[in-house]
Amino acid sequence: MNNGTILTGTGLSKKYGDLAVVKNVSLSINKSEFVCLVGKSGCGKTTLLSLLSGLERPTVGQVMLDGKEITSATEDDLALFRREHVGFIFQSFNLIPTLSAWENVALPLFPVKMTSEAREKRALELLEKMEMGHRTEHLPSALSGGEKQRVAIARALINHPKVLFADEPTGNLDSATGDAIMEILNRLHTQEGVAILMVTHEVELAKTAERLIRMHDGEVLS
Amino acid sequence: MSLHYLLNELYYQRRRTLAAIVGLSIGIALLIVLNALSSAYRQAARAPLAEIGADVTVQRPGDVPKDLAGVVFPCSAVTIRDDQVKKISGLPGVRGIGKAVLLWVFDPNRAWIVLGVEQQNNVGPAVLRSAVTDGRFLEEGKSEALVEVGYARQFNIKVGDSITIAKNTFPVVGLLDASRAAKIAVGNVYIPLTEAQKMAASSAGVQSVSPFNPADINLLFIKADQEQITGLAASLKTIVDKKATIGTPDSFLKLLGSLFALSDKFTMAASLIAIIVAVLVAFKTMAGNIAERAREIGVLKAVGWTNRNVVTQLLAESVIQCFLAGLLGLAIAFVAAFGLSFMKVNIPIPWDMAPTPHFLPGGGDQIFKTLRLPMHIPLLLATFGVLLSVVIGGVTGAFLGRSISKIKPSEVLRHE
Repeated sequence: MNNGTILTGTGLSKKYGDLAVVKNVSLSINKSEFVCLVGKSGCGKTTLLSLLSGLERPTVGQVMLDGKEITSATEDDLALFRREHVGFIFQSFNLIPTLSAWENVALPLFPVKMTSEAREKRALELLEKMEMGHRTEHLPSALSGGEKQRVAIARALINHPKVLFADEPTGNLDSATGDAIMEILNRLHTQEGVAILMVTHEVELAKTAERLIRMHDGEVLS
Repeated sequence: MSLHYLLNELYYQRRRTLAAIVGLSIGIALLIVLNALSSAYRQAARAPLAEIGADVTVQRPGDVPKDLAGVVFPCSAVTIRDDQVKKISGLPGVRGIGKAVLLWVFDPNRAWIVLGVEQQNNVGPAVLRSAVTDGRFLEEGKSEALVEVGYARQFNIKVGDSITIAKNTFPVVGLLDASRAAKIAVGNVYIPLTEAQKMAASSAGVQSVSPFNPADINLLFIKADQEQITGLAASLKTIVDKKATIGTPDSFLKLLGSLFALSDKFTMAASLIAIIVAVLVAFKTMAGNIAERAREIGVLKAVGWTNRNVVTQLLAESVIQCFLAGLLGLAIAFVAAFGLSFMKVNIPIPWDMAPTPHFLPGGGDQIFKTLRLPMHIPLLLATFGVLLSVVIGGVTGAFLGRSISKIKPSEVLRHE
């Protein structure tokens, strides 16, 4: 890993029973780089993202994230690592339905020892940044798809992540809203230097990224 | 653990929260009511004895008198010797003793049920002083009589009159209404114990059936430590007679015939069933709730919650829900107890404790002590119910939390 690399996966394979979903994949992502992982549905993109982000362990191979080998870490260490170093954005937003927008943003900080005022202040700042300052007290059910994804992005940023993992972040949005979300991701990448690994099956969307990695049948093509 | 998250979860998921709370609360209420009911029956069974200040009564059955003439003993209560009484008063657990002599007196023109009572004693028929409705109670050293108010009305006897019983004349100093008191140890006429002892000792009818000295008695009342009553009852039979009739709260409880009164085991079994049902309802509802939240748990783990964080959160939710269920169960139990307290209990008085000869009018009838079921929920039981509910919440929450926390976020967060 050179000094500019934030994430490296080496010889990653993942099998579910006899089914090999990811096959001997090696890749690396530099700091502040925006990389898109593209491929057809079922080609193993999401599984690879899970392996690289520490949500899942590879059957074979290892992952180095911000200089730390995470594949051998305990589950709790991995959870703490995710809390401190990475952010996630999901296609279906995955907001907690019983928490307001700002509480959803502050969710990763709930187990952290800090005052609730500090937690709320940080969440509100991020929502303001996502142009959601007027919707902080609303429950997810009262938000549009685009608003939900903005809340999800704010949540992903609450811990100042070095890498943001986005799994089809515009998949559930109309094209105009999807464009707006992509603009936010681009801004985060260019202005704040956050490395982004985005999974998508839409090649047009992937063109906004600095680098494209194509996957097919569990293998990286380019 | 986030209290805010917890409260939001319980508030916004009102239906499932309510389902869990109501399900468990019914079980807790059932447990509390069953135990309170059992306790109420036990307390009711103590009433006939408690009303004469005793926990145990002792009688010795004997032969039927050959001639029902003059002064005789009821066949259910013959001599208990003074030395036996002294021995009994020294038994462990005995806190006080009350003595009485019950006589049937067949005068040529009238039959009397005479009870010789001590003038001063908190144990035994002397407590009937509170039942005097006219005049006064018997005084120490005076040879006088009290007449039961119904009997006085029947034979037109008033305070200030004199009555003659077996050729002994007594001024009537008061009328007494024992109808609301215990149905045991009552008579038509109450005279000082010493007078009744003299009457019995000088009676050929008594002596022919059961030798009697002036210091002897035929009814004994004992105030005893509750925990030692069972052991005491066995010792009494050894001292007095194997066939002695020992009246205890347990013997009255058996006469009640209720399932709750009959058996601690029934109450225990029913309570256990109530608890098992409550636990199953709580477990099923909460398991359903938690299964529905698998995706949510996956999100928590993805954003950095450890297994311990997840378990603590779910445990706290479960404990709070079950605590609320405990409080609701307690409230339901209070309402049910209030309703049940209007129920009447008829405690049958055994024939051998009834003072009226069976051949006199009403003598053969089964008599009852009737009272309202003394339902109340003791603080200990209430606390136990709520604590048990919290423990159920703790165990359920910990178990379900531990199993759901093992979920892999990647499994539940895959996009559809």
